[in-house]
Amino acid sequence: MKKQILLTFGLAGLLTFSACSKEDSDTPQNTNNDSVLVSNLYAPQDTDYTQNPPAASGPFVKFDFSTGATTTSDTDWDIAFRGTTILINGGSSSGILDAPQRTGNAGAYIADGIFDEINSINSGAFAQDGPDGLAIPTGSGNGWYTYDPTQLTILPIPGKVIVLRTADNKYAKIEILSYYKDAPQVINEQIALNDLRYYTFNYVYQDDAGASGF
Amino acid sequence: MRNLVFLSVFLWFSNALIAQNKVKKADSIKPQELDAVMVSATRTKRQMSSLPMPTQFIPQKEIEAINAIRLTDLLDEQTGLITVSDFGGGQGVQMQGLDSQYTLVMIDGVPLIGRSAGTLDLSRVTVGNIKQIEIVRGASSSLYGNEALGGVINIITQNPRPGKRTRIDYRAGSFNTHDLRAQYTDNNLLDQWSVFLNRLSSDGYDLVENDDLRTVEPYTNYTAQVKYKGDLNPLTKMQISGRYYTQKQDYTASSNLAGASDINEFNTTLHLSRTPLEHWTQEFEWYTTRYMATEFLNNPDGSAFSESDFDQWFSRPELRLTRATDSSGTWIGGLGLTYEQLKRTDFFGTPEFYAPYAYIQYEDQITKKLNLVAGARYDVHSAYASQFSPKLAARYRINDKISIKSSLGYGFKTPDFRQLYFDFTNTTAGYTVLGYNAVAVRLPELQAAGNILNVTVPLDSFDDPLRPERSLAFNLGMDIKFSSQIKWNVNLFRNDIKDLIDTRVIAQKTNGQNVFSYYNVNRVYTQGLETDFTARINQNLKFSMGYQYLIAKDKDAEQAFDSGQVFGRVNPSSPVFRLDAKDYLGLVNRSKHTANAKMFFELPQWKLDGSFRATYRSAFGLFDTNGNSYLDQYDDLVAPFAIIDFSLNKALGKKFRIGAGIDNITDYTDPGRLTNLPGRLIYASLTFKTK
Repeated sequence: MKKQILLTFGLAGLLTFSACSKEDSDTPQNTNNDSVLVSNLYAPQDTDYTQNPPAASGPFVKFDFSTGATTTSDTDWDIAFRGTTILINGGSSSGILDAPQRTGNAGAYIADGIFDEINSINSGAFAQDGPDGLAIPTGSGNGWYTYDPTQLTILPIPGKVIVLRTADNKYAKIEILSYYKDAPQVINEQIALNDLRYYTFNYVYQDDAGASGF
Repeated sequence: MRNLVFLSVFLWFSNALIAQNKVKKADSIKPQELDAVMVSATRTKRQMSSLPMPTQFIPQKEIEAINAIRLTDLLDEQTGLITVSDFGGGQGVQMQGLDSQYTLVMIDGVPLIGRSAGTLDLSRVTVGNIKQIEIVRGASSSLYGNEALGGVINIITQNPRPGKRTRIDYRAGSFNTHDLRAQYTDNNLLDQWSVFLNRLSSDGYDLVENDDLRTVEPYTNYTAQVKYKGDLNPLTKMQISGRYYTQKQDYTASSNLAGASDINEFNTTLHLSRTPLEHWTQEFEWYTTRYMATEFLNNPDGSAFSESDFDQWFSRPELRLTRATDSSGTWIGGLGLTYEQLKRTDFFGTPEFYAPYAYIQYEDQITKKLNLVAGARYDVHSAYASQFSPKLAARYRINDKISIKSSLGYGFKTPDFRQLYFDFTNTTAGYTVLGYNAVAVRLPELQAAGNILNVTVPLDSFDDPLRPERSLAFNLGMDIKFSSQIKWNVNLFRNDIKDLIDTRVIAQKTNGQNVFSYYNVNRVYTQGLETDFTARINQNLKFSMGYQYLIAKDKDAEQAFDSGQVFGRVNPSSPVFRLDAKDYLGLVNRSKHTANAKMFFELPQWKLDGSFRATYRSAFGLFDTNGNSYLDQYDDLVAPFAIIDFSLNKALGKKFRIGAGIDNITDYTDPGRLTNLPGRLIYASLTFKTK
């Protein structure tokens, strides 16, 4: 019964999805940029439990949208991951240990809505990292995820789309789909404890710096 | 399929019983079910059938028929009461859709304490010496003050019957569970004594096999209770009672962290009552209780890894005055003071509360048809704003068969110690939880230590005290008596709660984690219908059915859904879609439909009695599984389930009784989610009594 329902919704979802992209191609803002899926981007983090409170450390994993891949470059990166923390290459240090230097002009905000329908860019909304916090806030319910302390699960909040101005003033919209290896549908205790910090996300890259949408 | 088997067995039994009764009428035992008398609803002895508020009553006979050993065994089978376990394993009860924190649980009219995580663990209470359990639904703070939002459960212990009596009960069952009880009572013309002892031990159980943890660790607990009643002088009666409970349980946190937990609880009550003049009764009651819980974990080398302590004191003297008017009315008034103190690991200081209070209530049979109860209580508190809790209830008898009753009342629950004084940093994840009153001191300290990245909620928003959670409860019901054997009642309820306390992030830490604290936010309502149908088909067969329909929702969540701010996703690879109000399921752990059906039978020619009982819960969610932090219909829910129990007892002569039974015949479990369901339980019992 349950499976049947899921299947029905899955199919309905697919139908709506294809219908939407057709409609969207008629809207002027859509420039037919395809969405790209990144699977299992591993963003480990070391935690020192001998300190109270425990301190997180370790290198961030940097991602460059112009190449669509992770990078070790100190300058050519747009967004960086470590555990649930996401930094952007814009602004100044917020005091997080082992964070890379910001060298670019990246900015970000979180838009509420359906990924395919977030097509305009609100240039006034971009925030940058800084001593008062990160452009993509950390903490359960503040940014892109909720944390359930009884189930120990990190779940991306559906309907939260990160709109990013890249380090070199291009744009991307990002939807995080899973924080666990191979994006499992059910996150049991084993997965929650062992297979975490593997990002799966969808993004659309807009390489036209003058564009007002995706 | 199983239901079909159950039904046919049931039908067979019913036929057998009806047939037998026709033949052997002379042998049958007279039903004890006269009109039950209860004290919890009005604090005066009242016939249940005359009360204007929704009440329920479980007699000792039913406790014995189902061979119950713990309070949880019984409550779970009552209409609209659902046993739910918190993440610490404590089992509380949900009433009218309100969480277990919002129901006051008392033994002989005085409250039990020890809610270390909010839930009062009802599996702590043995039912061996219980005369009856009284349940009052709907806010009852007008009489009982704090905690009585959803209602009141009052456990009435037995009073000795004439003569000297000894009774011993033993029950052994699955999971190496042994329950032994011994009771001695002496009621002579001068005074009454009773001593009760209980030992319960179990190996616990393990629902998830491939890990280092057991779902319930092995435990052993003891309960001892002593009660004395006597006359100080011809006008003054005295009652002294004491209860002691202790439990030791293994505690394992991982393959290399093991320890134990230890609970000790004392209660003492002194009760004096005097009748100085005709129509007047003075009562003085002083109740003191202490609840201590410690737990520790050791490393494999025996060194200490962690230890936590919880030590709560509660003391309450109360003076009560009752006056019967010359006509049919009764006034009751009370004056009291509650003192509470808590010492706890991870706490900000040793908080103390002082809470004096006064209440008054008038009840009257105004006309032959109209019965009225009006009351109010005023609670002053050393840490919160004072609370005024009025209540009005009326019952109107339309004719011999039909009565209508309605009640409207306020309930409140003051924030508990944890919500005010918690000062806890998780050693593995690194987040911090601060009680509301601890923030003003502790947050600047954390800032000075360089642990805080930024503060998201300004400190001055903690200037006003945290407010108690308040509810307004409305009940409207009807009792229909088709005959003395067939009764039906139905009750509509609505509870509106405001200032519900929740946690929120107040600051972000440099380690990427958050500082949480408590605040008044949620507006929640629960509403629905509860109904019970009872038919005594003959003197040897009683059949009952109960049903509750429940909607329990957060008003702000409803608005978020309404305005299209909530999104859902079926699985990580499917697209996101917008949810609407229809998709919102409401609060966690609430089933829309719950039902029960019970059959109690007696076969006098074989000296047998027993029962078939079934309870049903429709689907419910325990937590959000798709990240939007709300429970919606695309979340992974617990599927509907039914639990079927069977018991059979046989008297052997006048002194012995043997019994056996199966709880949860179909062996239903849901590992990882419903930790309080161990699966099928098979047991046998033996009772010896001198009279």
